[in-house]
Amino acid sequence: MKKYHLKLVLTVLIVALFFVICLSLSAGQYDLGFFQVVAWGLHQLNIPLLNELQLTEQQEAVLMYIRLPRTAVALLVGAGLAASGTVLQGLFSNPLADPGIIGVSSGATCGAVAAICLGLNSTSMFGLPAFAFVGALLAVTLTIGLATRNGRIPVLTLLLAGVVVGMLFSAITAALLTVMDDHKVQQYLFWTIGSLDYRRWEHVLMGVVPITLGIIIMLLMARHLNILALGEAEAKAVGMPVVRYRLILLMVAALTTASGVCISGSIGFVGLIIPHMMRMLVGPNHSHLLPVSILAGAVFLIFCDSIGRSILTNSEINVGIMTAVLGTPYFLYLLRKHTDLQ
Amino acid sequence: MEIVLNVQSITTGYEENKILTDISFAVNKGEFIGIIGKNGAGKSTLLKALRGFLPIKAGTIQLFGRKLQDYEQRELATGISYLQQQIELTFDYTAWDMVLAGRYPYKKWWQQPGDDDKRIVEACMKYTGVHDLRRIPIKAMSGGQRQRVLLAKILAQQTPLLFLDEPAAGLDLFYQEEIFRFCQEMCKRGKTVIMVVHELNLAARYCSRLMLINQGKILADGLPKAVLTDKLLSEAYGVDIRALVNPETGHTDIFTLPQPGTDEKNQLLNIIVGSGEATERTGEL
Repeated sequence: MKKYHLKLVLTVLIVALFFVICLSLSAGQYDLGFFQVVAWGLHQLNIPLLNELQLTEQQEAVLMYIRLPRTAVALLVGAGLAASGTVLQGLFSNPLADPGIIGVSSGATCGAVAAICLGLNSTSMFGLPAFAFVGALLAVTLTIGLATRNGRIPVLTLLLAGVVVGMLFSAITAALLTVMDDHKVQQYLFWTIGSLDYRRWEHVLMGVVPITLGIIIMLLMARHLNILALGEAEAKAVGMPVVRYRLILLMVAALTTASGVCISGSIGFVGLIIPHMMRMLVGPNHSHLLPVSILAGAVFLIFCDSIGRSILTNSEINVGIMTAVLGTPYFLYLLRKHTDLQ
Repeated sequence: MEIVLNVQSITTGYEENKILTDISFAVNKGEFIGIIGKNGAGKSTLLKALRGFLPIKAGTIQLFGRKLQDYEQRELATGISYLQQQIELTFDYTAWDMVLAGRYPYKKWWQQPGDDDKRIVEACMKYTGVHDLRRIPIKAMSGGQRQRVLLAKILAQQTPLLFLDEPAAGLDLFYQEEIFRFCQEMCKRGKTVIMVVHELNLAARYCSRLMLINQGKILADGLPKAVLTDKLLSEAYGVDIRALVNPETGHTDIFTLPQPGTDEKNQLLNIIVGSGEATERTGEL
């Protein structure tokens, strides 16, 4: 298959990122034109173009306090999920691995339900994310603990442990749901689908440090990921302490995903489709694949969120639904094409 | 003679199984050692143990006079390179990516491969004749091309010792012999090669020393001529074997003789296809 030039793909993605950011800032029920947003951006950068398209005070408030934080959260979460997905797929040498597979999502969900059950989400906006984060951490630790044998982490055991831990946490979640009242169940449903509704700058602040840090570490480890993806035996043969690196990467990916899940709920498909798609474009070398996936993840999630806000006139479609609706057919199409070529 | 690897009465195996017991030998610099023996004799296990992939339950292995366990992982990988029997790749890594992996042990964790690494990779790929294939995914290559790439990878690792686990398996005659020739040339330049081999005729011609493994022990160890005898081979492989010097080439050729019980098989064949037909078939063959 033809691999595209890295610089071309990066350029296209950066342009696309600016485009979807403007799209996201102008999409929604409150009227804000696409070019008004562009003009506002240029104005902020002291570029005196499109001066006739000034925003009203109210429009600027909507932009600053509603749309910008929401877009920033989408950018962070999209980038983080795609990066984690890429790392996990490389780590397991399995193109179908996903942040959900090591129990992160179910752990976070369980934590969130516990927070909702205790009524913590109404007293403080940090309660639910903190619980979700702890839940995710607990699930990953348990998964790794179950999978480690004589200082080794066999991939198959890890995947199976992830499934088992996922089921355990889902069971706890289900148990908690049965004792909750309808109002709380409604809140849980909203959270579990993954939504970017009502995201504030506080959410951005909560996510920006762990996600950025996670992404930087993953980018630094790209070369090691390439060695791990060649398989355990090959990695050992060139002197890599396999277990140590697996643990580090697993933890970083899990924490990045957990941070994302905390501020946006669990959003599926981004971590699965984006790395897979990008690998077809630029090949499996993680020094290229990771930066491309990170950009593409951000573009994809911001785009999905913008579309979800624009389709219906009086309501919006959750971004988690949008990623699934847009992601599944494309993924199937690519999978089909890929296997046909082989 | 400089001893590079010294093995003293080691016992090793997987988990609780002891596959090899009380193995001792020393390897000198520049030797091209072929490990031979029938399937399941413990050849690959020995090679893995020597590389430090398996727990040593008794005895010691010394590399350049230092215990194997005292080496750091990365440091050990600059002493011994290892070409595994089978490589299964999930992703479409190119030949270049694969050979570059050989430079891994020379880099600190934050370091990126530099120009010198790229030069070494290029030189190794040119040496094994795969430089033109550098952008091709390994998965899309033929068995022979793939082995040449992997050979370039272990050369890029620039180790004094090279371990190869059945590198010629599944290759056609030309590639099989090519691998042996490459290794022989390496040894002449001061490297030491230990290789698990099934191709006894090639081993006889190219290896400087053979080690015959049988039931977890070394049955014979020495010059090919001394190891490839009718008696030793027949004992190790459990079939009647003749090692003859080919008068045309001067090399040792190995043949298996029909096993006892073959007559009985022929009779069974007669019954199955009918005796008259059987003779016709044999004639055709």
